Amino acid sequence: MLRAAGLVKSYRAPAGTPIRVLAGVDLTVKGGEIAVVTGPSGSGKSTLLNVLGLLEDGDGGEIWFEDTRVSALGRAAKSRARGRYVGFLFQSFLLLPSLTALENVLLAARYVHRSGPATRRRAIGLMQEVGVADRMDHFPAQLSGGEQQRVAFCRAVLNDPPLLLADEPTGNLDDANGAVILDALRGRARAGAAVVVVSHRPEAAVGASALYRLRGGVLESP
Amino acid sequence: MRSLRVLRGYLFTVLGIAIGVAGLVALGAMSERIVRFIEGGDRFVLGQISVAGRGMGMGTGFTAGGILPAATIRAISEVPGVQGVQAQIMLPLDPSTSQFMTVTQELVLGMDLSVPTPNRHYRTLPVRSGRFLRQGDHKVAVVGASFAASRGLSVGSHLMLEDEGYEVVGVLDRMLTAPDRFVMVSIDDARAQWVAKDRLLRTVLASGGMALTASDLNTGAAVGWRDGDDPDAVALRIKERVPGVNVQLPSELSRLLRSSTAFFSALLIGIGALAFVIGGLSLANTMAAAVFERIRDFGVKRALGATDLQLGREVLAESLAVTMVGGLGGIGLARALGWFIDRYLAQAQQLFHFSPRLLVGALAFSILLGAAAAIYATARVVSLSPAEAIRRGA
Repeated sequence: MLRAAGLVKSYRAPAGTPIRVLAGVDLTVKGGEIAVVTGPSGSGKSTLLNVLGLLEDGDGGEIWFEDTRVSALGRAAKSRARGRYVGFLFQSFLLLPSLTALENVLLAARYVHRSGPATRRRAIGLMQEVGVADRMDHFPAQLSGGEQQRVAFCRAVLNDPPLLLADEPTGNLDDANGAVILDALRGRARAGAAVVVVSHRPEAAVGASALYRLRGGVLESP
Repeated sequence: MRSLRVLRGYLFTVLGIAIGVAGLVALGAMSERIVRFIEGGDRFVLGQISVAGRGMGMGTGFTAGGILPAATIRAISEVPGVQGVQAQIMLPLDPSTSQFMTVTQELVLGMDLSVPTPNRHYRTLPVRSGRFLRQGDHKVAVVGASFAASRGLSVGSHLMLEDEGYEVVGVLDRMLTAPDRFVMVSIDDARAQWVAKDRLLRTVLASGGMALTASDLNTGAAVGWRDGDDPDAVALRIKERVPGVNVQLPSELSRLLRSSTAFFSALLIGIGALAFVIGGLSLANTMAAAVFERIRDFGVKRALGATDLQLGREVLAESLAVTMVGGLGGIGLARALGWFIDRYLAQAQQLFHFSPRLLVGALAFSILLGAAAAIYATARVVSLSPAEAIRRGA
């Protein structure tokens, strides 16, 4: 499902000197697999996930979603590709504060033109699966961190994307809520999605198809 | 429901826009009021040739002249090009005030109703209630809107003028120009008031030193011209052929009127321009800030697949709604302020004129500027990568 080859990415330090974060990352994740990437803080894990998910452009390399070389697409096509192929789960949940939990979940369908009663039913069904259906009319500020991340998970999977990218999905959660989210991600992999998880937590590696460590800008198998 | 919530999220933006638009509209309404006053006066003086007797008598009005005897009026009517001469009397309601035309002076206007009004732009005056004067009327009055409001007069009310009772038979529509403060009576009634007001005139009449009859007591005349004639040329002809008169050329009087109000016009244009710039900048800044505040939301939406176009449409729709509500709120606020000031502080004068062109213009201005600011801010935001937008928003 996901194939990345030779990804390169640098940032400029305030002094102007380039800092190479990715120095030729190769990664392939098939449908049904979970790839877990670990590494120390500042090693570039989030940058890798952002580049893989087309949230920012790399300086070099190629990314393929299925048979489409998405790294070569224009801005609008990249946006459409994100909507069609990718579901994101962020450490800080990134729910929109002005929307209710259900509206946050449904937001994922709005930009891929899937809004409708069936989508609404599916959103509520997903929220029931992860135990937040009774909070669907609450705003993010009225939810606990665990509830917010479960809502964010429902948003990430609403369109049934073939690729799930999770950036420290349990970083702000207690163990119990972290376990719920990791189980849910494994469930998506069992359903056929390719899942990439960036995490510090050792339990994230449980059930992983592949485990990588990002060091010096390249992925290493530990 | 969700739309209301979106607007609630923009509450301070809406309030900021409303206050900016209210300031803009209130200043614009004051400007419109003055413009209407000037335009009304201009239309009046351009619609007739104003003639007065030579000198500086009690009579007021546009020429501030002396007595214009009946024989002179007949002579004017025989000048080629003249069509219709209406004898008139203009008197200050309160003789202790200046005889010169001021913005707020109240005047008594006596009209010879046996002659149709020659003024081309004011053949009739708009009556809000009751009726206008008719030939043969005696001790009845038609009053202007401000005059009526300041004294609580309506049709059927009674009014004392020089110790004589008058019944109000009509109230004019508010015209935002001089007749708003007029009391209109028949010329015979006005002559009686003039004699009552003017001790010198009474002395002259009693002495028999001047051969004056009642029909000689006129302060001026409104003179019309035949179709196709140049009013200025007709006025010059009157000046040449009729001795002892002050004749004002319509175009010259118009110029005088405009130059006398030029200071106010310039002041209001300056204030209006300042309000336009300050209000516009405030509105644009408020709207752009509201978009920049949501930079993280835009990053998230782009992560979910929103294209620049989709986000642009979304922001445009929201900004239109926000500026529309803010603009309408601002107009409402300005109108409430104007009503309050006119009702309680302006002593029945109307200081604000909320013309349709002002309201539509202010609303269109706020909506277009708000939308432009929102689109500009959105373009800035979407130029960032979604990851950068999320980072900055955090």
